[in-house]
Amino acid sequence: MIIEFLNKLKPMATFDESLDISPYAKMMWFRLLREQDKLTTVMKYHSDLVGSPFPPALHGGTLASLMEMSALMELFWNMDVQHLPKTIDITIDYLRSGKTEDTFSRARVYRQGRRYATVHAEAWQTDMAKPIATAMLHFQLID
Amino acid sequence: MRLIPHARRLGLRLVESKGDNLVIEMPFNDELEVIPGTGLMANGAITAFLDTALGAAVHYELKVFRTMVTLDLRVDYFEKPPPFSAIVVKTRCLKVTDHIVFVQGDVFCKDMSVPLAHGVAAFSYTPMEQDA
Repeated sequence: MIIEFLNKLKPMATFDESLDISPYAKMMWFRLLREQDKLTTVMKYHSDLVGSPFPPALHGGTLASLMEMSALMELFWNMDVQHLPKTIDITIDYLRSGKTEDTFSRARVYRQGRRYATVHAEAWQTDMAKPIATAMLHFQLID
Repeated sequence: MRLIPHARRLGLRLVESKGDNLVIEMPFNDELEVIPGTGLMANGAITAFLDTALGAAVHYELKVFRTMVTLDLRVDYFEKPPPFSAIVVKTRCLKVTDHIVFVQGDVFCKDMSVPLAHGVAAFSYTPMEQDA
């Protein structure tokens, strides 16, 4: 389902699509956009993402989730997969508190072998040079 | 848990606090599915669940409310929870230093001897004397 969805988008140079085909992505208000040949996963701000009401800040888990999604999307985008890669582990560094606004994430595949892939993701808000969190993930590519 | 909007949205519920451990539950909910109808929870939801549970474990350990931030979190996903099942996290505080609390948690489904995922985190907190 997700693979067909992405394959449809691949020929397009720019797009800004909701990921509502997945219930969880819909709940998180995730979108996928492409511009200048870069794939970005966006988490649109809404009040259910808040982790600490005073002072208001995004829940750390939502940032982890966003970065995992962006890592998966980057993997999908660059490989010919028949099934969903399995997440083996994720290590998240929280760098700055997440403000109550839209959050963006891009990922880079550090290494992709036949069985495993190592992917790094960053999340930022207004300034891409100041990430609010980073994550390193390992995926298993075979069943 | 009810004070944290995202935890409320995930439906998290404190099951038990005993000795060193907290047990927190996340019920199955079809909003948590990656692919509709499969009954499989998104990894992201499990990560957010662990993040919340470990934060709660820090508050529980410190006894009083302190300003704290998560420094890092590492999650290993051993196996997928069975479809349409609630899962629980059992937390344990590993160490409290002057500034840092180290905590860990395991995710289980029905069998509390078979962990499905494992999380470990470090939280920084503001010590008492620095409280304004």
